[in-house]
Amino acid sequence: MTMQTTTTQKKSLPIVAAHKTAADLDIDVDAELLAFEQAERERIGIKAERRQWADNMLDLKMKKSERASVTLLISGLTAAQDFLTEGALRSLGYKVHYFGMSNNRGLQAGKEFGNRGQCNPTYFTVGSLVQHLIDLRDKDGMSAEDIVKNFVFVTAGACGPCRFGMYVTEYRKALRDAGFDGFRVLLFQQQGGLSQATGEDVGLEMNPPFFIAIIKAVVCGDVLNALGYRIRPYEVEVGATNRAMEEAKKICYEALTSHSNIFVALHKAKKVLEGVKVDKLRARAKTSIIGEFWAMTTEGDGNYQLQKFLESEGAENDIQLTTAWLLYNIWEVARDTRQRQDLRTADGGNYGLEGLDEFGVAKKLAMMRGAEVGLRAGFEAFALAAGLYDYHLPDMDLVASVANEHYSNDLRGGEGHMEVGKLICNVVMSKANITVSVKPFGCMPSSGVSDGVQSLITAKYPGTIFCAVETSGDGATNFYSRVQMYMFKARIAAEKELARAYEATGLTEAEVRAFLASHPRYASPLHHAPHKVAGSAANLVYEVAPLIQQSALERASIKAKAAAAVLKGAALGTPAAARKAVAFVRDPETHARLEQDFLLVRDLLQGKAREHLVPMAQRLLGKAVFENNPEVSHLAHSGEAIAAE
Amino acid sequence: MGRQIQDPVVVGIDVGSTTVKAVVLDPVTLEILWSDYQRHQTKQPEKVVELIDAIEAAFPASPRASWRVFMTGSGAAPLCAGLGAKFVQEVNAVTLAVENLHPDVGSVIELGGQDAKIIIFKKDEKTGDKTASPSMNDKCASGTGATIDKCMLKVGLPSAEVVQIHFDDSKLHHVAAKCGVFAETDIVNLVKSGIPANEVLCSLADAIVLQNLSVLTRGSTLKSKVLLLGGPNTYLPFLQECWRLRIPQVWDERGYDWPKDRPVEETIFVPENAQYYAAFGACVYGLKEAAGVGSYTGKQGLVEYMTNGRKARLGESAGPPLAKSKDEISDFRKLYSIPRFTPPKLAQGQVIRAVVGLDGGSTSSKAVLVDEAGEIVCKAYQLSKGNPIQDAKELLTQLRDHVQNQGATLEVLGFGATGYAADVLEETVRADVNIVETVAHMMSAVRYCGEVDVICDIGGQDIKVLFMKNGDIANFRLSNSCSAGNGMLLQAMADQFGLPVTEYADTAFGAELAPKFSYGCAVFLDTDRVNFQKEGFSKEELLAGLAQVLPKNVWQYVVQIPRLAALGTRYVLQGGTQYNLAAVKAQVDYIKERVPGAEVFVHPHTGEAGALGAAFETLRVIKRRGTSTFIGIEAAINLDYTTKNDEETVCHFCPNNCKRTFIDATRPDGSTSRYISGFSCEKGTVESEAAMIALVADRKKIAKQFPNLVDYESKQAFRHFYEPAPLPPEGSPVKDTVLKKGFFGTKRVETTRPFRRNSHTVQERLRRVRIGIPRVLNIYSTAPYFRHYFEAIGIPKQNVVFSDVTTEEMWVEGGKYGSIDPCFPSKVAQAHIHNLLFHHHSPQPGALPSPDDKKLDYIFFPILTHVPSFGEGVMDKTSCPIVAGVPDVMKAAFTKEVDFFATRGIEYVDPALTFSEMNLTARRMFETWGPRLGITEDESDHAHREAMRAFDIFERDLQDKGRAILETVEAENRVAILMVGRPYHSDPGLNHAIPEEFQVLGYPILSVRSIPRDADYLARYFKEEIARGQHPLNINDVWPENYSANSAQKVWAVKFAARHPNVVLLDLSSFKCGHDAPTYGIVESIVNGSATPYAALHDIDANKPSGSIKIRVKTYAHSLKLHEEALDDAAKKRGELAMSLDKKRLELLTMKQAQMAARRQEDPALERQIAELGDRLRSYVAPITPPEQPKGLVTLKKKNADGNVVATHAGANAAR
Repeated sequence: MTMQTTTTQKKSLPIVAAHKTAADLDIDVDAELLAFEQAERERIGIKAERRQWADNMLDLKMKKSERASVTLLISGLTAAQDFLTEGALRSLGYKVHYFGMSNNRGLQAGKEFGNRGQCNPTYFTVGSLVQHLIDLRDKDGMSAEDIVKNFVFVTAGACGPCRFGMYVTEYRKALRDAGFDGFRVLLFQQQGGLSQATGEDVGLEMNPPFFIAIIKAVVCGDVLNALGYRIRPYEVEVGATNRAMEEAKKICYEALTSHSNIFVALHKAKKVLEGVKVDKLRARAKTSIIGEFWAMTTEGDGNYQLQKFLESEGAENDIQLTTAWLLYNIWEVARDTRQRQDLRTADGGNYGLEGLDEFGVAKKLAMMRGAEVGLRAGFEAFALAAGLYDYHLPDMDLVASVANEHYSNDLRGGEGHMEVGKLICNVVMSKANITVSVKPFGCMPSSGVSDGVQSLITAKYPGTIFCAVETSGDGATNFYSRVQMYMFKARIAAEKELARAYEATGLTEAEVRAFLASHPRYASPLHHAPHKVAGSAANLVYEVAPLIQQSALERASIKAKAAAAVLKGAALGTPAAARKAVAFVRDPETHARLEQDFLLVRDLLQGKAREHLVPMAQRLLGKAVFENNPEVSHLAHSGEAIAAE
Repeated sequence: MGRQIQDPVVVGIDVGSTTVKAVVLDPVTLEILWSDYQRHQTKQPEKVVELIDAIEAAFPASPRASWRVFMTGSGAAPLCAGLGAKFVQEVNAVTLAVENLHPDVGSVIELGGQDAKIIIFKKDEKTGDKTASPSMNDKCASGTGATIDKCMLKVGLPSAEVVQIHFDDSKLHHVAAKCGVFAETDIVNLVKSGIPANEVLCSLADAIVLQNLSVLTRGSTLKSKVLLLGGPNTYLPFLQECWRLRIPQVWDERGYDWPKDRPVEETIFVPENAQYYAAFGACVYGLKEAAGVGSYTGKQGLVEYMTNGRKARLGESAGPPLAKSKDEISDFRKLYSIPRFTPPKLAQGQVIRAVVGLDGGSTSSKAVLVDEAGEIVCKAYQLSKGNPIQDAKELLTQLRDHVQNQGATLEVLGFGATGYAADVLEETVRADVNIVETVAHMMSAVRYCGEVDVICDIGGQDIKVLFMKNGDIANFRLSNSCSAGNGMLLQAMADQFGLPVTEYADTAFGAELAPKFSYGCAVFLDTDRVNFQKEGFSKEELLAGLAQVLPKNVWQYVVQIPRLAALGTRYVLQGGTQYNLAAVKAQVDYIKERVPGAEVFVHPHTGEAGALGAAFETLRVIKRRGTSTFIGIEAAINLDYTTKNDEETVCHFCPNNCKRTFIDATRPDGSTSRYISGFSCEKGTVESEAAMIALVADRKKIAKQFPNLVDYESKQAFRHFYEPAPLPPEGSPVKDTVLKKGFFGTKRVETTRPFRRNSHTVQERLRRVRIGIPRVLNIYSTAPYFRHYFEAIGIPKQNVVFSDVTTEEMWVEGGKYGSIDPCFPSKVAQAHIHNLLFHHHSPQPGALPSPDDKKLDYIFFPILTHVPSFGEGVMDKTSCPIVAGVPDVMKAAFTKEVDFFATRGIEYVDPALTFSEMNLTARRMFETWGPRLGITEDESDHAHREAMRAFDIFERDLQDKGRAILETVEAENRVAILMVGRPYHSDPGLNHAIPEEFQVLGYPILSVRSIPRDADYLARYFKEEIARGQHPLNINDVWPENYSANSAQKVWAVKFAARHPNVVLLDLSSFKCGHDAPTYGIVESIVNGSATPYAALHDIDANKPSGSIKIRVKTYAHSLKLHEEALDDAAKKRGELAMSLDKKRLELLTMKQAQMAARRQEDPALERQIAELGDRLRSYVAPITPPEQPKGLVTLKKKNADGNVVATHAGANAAR
């Protein structure tokens, strides 16, 4: 270590100059000392205080005035959804650019500039953004300052607990290390509601029109994707579906950008897709793709183009829709609220119901119910317009209840209990021949928990074909090999299933083909046979069998009998239902509850509600005191007294 | 050769990672007509064509047009089109072959070159159908043929002898089979310790077998009969025997009924023609396909592919070559070729006075002779032969002979050693210097290259990168045992192509493009290599690509600093790998591309940098000391030594039973020394019981002086330390809230009512209830709550049973149930459940009940979605999702085949609890335990409150002790090490006792939770935060995405250390930790910004990498010594400043007094001040020096309100 010696050592005081007499002024001892101390510190070489790091990329904003010059960059969902989102946001007056599906170049950049030990989706998504900016700089010759000034990245944020919740940390680190210090990443939170980041000088207004535009694009993309995966395995001419899909996407894009009627556009898209020639009697293994959200959603290098590979191995993919993911988010809030509504003392924190008024819980639950109904209805409307018939969004309560015994509904992160729940549904309800669960290497919720539980599920239901695969971004050969291993079994299962259908109905393939030729409605690419077994071809055989073998009269009689049975069941059930209703009405608890509601409303009407605000304010005050009291502030929990004290 | 066949045949070809196997079958009878098996030396298509030629020649009369070809194996897919063949996935092929040939087989274990597979056939009870459930290793796992091959090379036994070895489980040594690289490292170390080859190979076999049984079976039990397939299983009898020993053991443990009356060779067997199963199965598969699938089209397409098709595809995915032109290469050579060292000519009769520096490296050992002027006289080099003493003797002989052969005489002035061999040489030949490699490298680099910023040393096994500041190591990064990119990898790769490593660069420079390897672990790189080879890249291209991945591994994987320019501009490359110019070129290009104006030097004696450093340090030491302790070169060369490794040398001081090697050396003067290697803790360094007791006592003394709060916390958390208040009597009044629920609204009303108690019988029952809780994961931060909850409802404290502390034995015994492979802290939970089931619970099934039975009624393993956290303003307090989910994973693992809980009469209870909503937790605790134990909600709530109280006491206690340590080290200008990790890293089985390593060096250890969080205390260090209105516990200025409670606490602790001059950091993260990963960059920024000393181990896992820990501890200790000196200097400077300020004040006050006197004024206060200052200044002149503390002793003290530091009682307790 080298000692620093300074030559300009001050021996005399600067203020007590020689020409002044001592009596002229009083000495300011403190000021003199301060000046002296500084000089001494320098002379002795006492180090300055440690420098402390703080992140300078937090809270970077975009201003309203920048709207005309700044381009919003987007990427991260399926190709269709990103493309349509670009269109939808343009309609709101933003400059938007979708810069393409994440690829291996992105992965490499992500690994170079990201932290070690991240999961694949992080590397891919973060790296793709960084790579895009590097290309703008190095290939298009823009300066880093201009890039930082003229572009922002918009993406969904999340609330933990897996690495997905910490993506933004990675974005900041990678952008800074790649030389784009100050680049703005704007987040909209999954559960932040519809009222974030709005106001006077906000460049990107996350207001209802913004979210509605995104949801429209996402749902529209979902519907088109679902249709594409239904049609492609059966196309007669290879590539016809993809061509039709491109056209359909363009039609919807135009409609979203120009604010014209999206239903009309979807109807046009339906006509285009209807034009794809298909052979619906091919035995295809119905393949349910589950797993980590990004890995199962992306269609590029991030999962080695799994969907395409599965189709080449004889699969009809049943993909998970983003809409279902939104439903899961809604379900989470509703479930957490129900779990806590009966606590005698409400907790604070992110999930606690502290601070809600008497009607708060009911309001919150009603809101969630409304959101769910709205989303489902919206999806149905889009689906019908586009020709996606008989598509069932998952029943979140059912998935949760079948999974709960094995995978607690309280466990969150990634897909939570859904992977386990979906596998059980797939097996028990014959929804798929094979379930492929794809996840990034080391995915915490998926490979770290779900797969551990799935081993029990597959043991409980022998015959389950369950293929869990991890993607690491390299070594595609192993990945494909593993998938092939299971697809072989699935294909055989699908073939057997179709053979059983012919056997059970006593039909031959030729007979069914002849029927389809004469009844084009059933041969249409959009036609969807009702669910009986997993495979679509087998379902079609079961559907058309009565049409071939029975006369119209026989069918009508069978239908009538079925309807009668339903009616009879309803009639038999009526007294029971009626008894139940009567019991409910007579139940003292019902009365008590009604009385409580009445009292609450009366209180409210009489203006007494204000009184309830006082204790609440006191509670809040108590919390503030608690927080500011050093004696207790080291406690890790809010030590409110509970129950019987 | 095949007989004359007129009918069509079916051809099955299996293209594996090392061999090609082909069979020709009769399509009707499936009889094998022809077969062959060849190593392909990475020329798969060529070998396939060769075999096809042979087949065509063997069946001249069979109609070609009706042949069908089916291919399988990892290398088959791209070759299929060329023959018209159909590709069949290999597991499917093997499954079909087995189903066809051995319908009675229950499971198959196949070890291939690159992969391992286990197939278990399960019978569907309903349909009677047999379904195969296959499992393949993920690419991370080891236990494959390639690992065995590599390790056999290391052992150096000819294959003729290898097949003679029989499995012997009496002498097994630790080998980590989790990863090929780990296994290789362990094997090298065993060989070095002089363990006989057969023991090494048996240990390897055992490790691989256990690894496959625990991981690859995914927790399932193998079904009998077991078929062994694949090269290693077929050719290595000791491996077969190992399976035959271990599989029945697992069967017995799990109560699986296997045919004990038959010879085990029948139950676990290797079939004839085992190598052809996949090829055979491919044909069986293919024949089920429609006719026409796999029709043979002749070999022409394949030949075409070999010549043209393969290359055309490559250009798309490949990157640029190492150099664009020949000129660029020759320029580079001129600049960077290391000049050949020619030792100076010695004159006849010249006396050479010199020191010896020796670097006992992992793969090679080097020695140098350096004269008094610091000039190199000569060098010696040899590949390590496995025994450090033998290596040293031979190296010294080389040096001596070099001098003597020229007629000169050698006078050795001193001897210094570094590297793996340094410890043993210090002991046996009394080396003058034993320094850690990092410091040796630094000294040598600085000597030759002057002021440098970064030193990058790439050796055979590891990578060391040192960051310099003011001529000393400011920080460093070492590769851990998992990473690759080292010299060994390049060597191994050259070996694969039969190329001497000296020709690597010439070959690699010849490439016109290079495949893009993804950086990281060596196993992954090897997988990439195989894949690229399959794609058709040539050896030139592969070598070039691999050289290019090296800098990525160094800077992105090991160093983790993307912005290289921040490190400085002067770089030194050293280590043996720098002789390989391809590696140097890649490094130089990488650095220069990223650092403008960078200067990259190659150390002129790159291979001997460590030895030179040791020599220079020896020169310095003997000059200062004037004498040498070295026994002399002749004595060293003639040193007698014996190695012993048998029953007698096994260490029995703990259940580890380490197999040690004793190296006894007798010096010429008759004195002896014993060096002991092969142990895993310092208990192993002693021989006798008495010496053991002395050592333990010594350690205890140190531990008492240097409290280790990590250790304390890990024990205290599970103890009974608080007597919960008794339950209130029935009927005593309690305040309560009543919920008045309507359909739309809910009202809460306060009320007072009597306390409800359970019945007497319930209380009686509670006295006998025993509850087991695994000592894992977040139980480490919540155990005081759970223990005292149960005690408060009336369960005796001895009936709240925690599983034992994690140990290696526990893991080996209980680690075979899981089906997944997450981080070690989560995986190890199964061993704890096993421990509770089998060690804390009796009677065992089948045994008769006895009064001594200690039966567990419940195993309680709560799902903790949110954990206790002191974070302020955090987004959430979530637990890691894996950690939270472990209880459900355990439930699945222990119930899927046999319900281990039900069969033992235990109920497994895993409710979801959250420590961020304590009212909800109180409710859930009642919902869980009310019905089971018969307690009332009032009782449960009372217990909850008592539990919370206990929890608070626990937290307070930790902080008091932490504060005592902090204030002591501050007063004495010493440092304390703050171990930042997740709460469960205080488990000694997880942290591998790394904190203890530092503790014995004299540093007190703090845990995250022991940092005092009292406002007054924090105000000292978080002035800026408080000034801007930020709570000192708030970390939003550095990391707002702080959902993860434990990670957030870690980041906060790092912030604290950055603000406390006497606190340095030791950062532990587990391999695969997904919650720590995002914080690496943040921690790095905070630590770099404030220049806080920092050491990190980011990939700790099940096995303890002792060597790697040792070098880190030693290097960090070196930095800490410097830091302490700096603290001392700073304190002295502060003292100097205080004195000079007082002087100045006196001067000023005197002047003021004079001023006032001139005005005839007086100020008594001023007079008094002047008098006091005068006194104080006199005390500076003769300061009262406190009596020198005995070295290494710290008495815990505390700062009082008046600022004085006094001894404290609490601190002394801390170590107990």
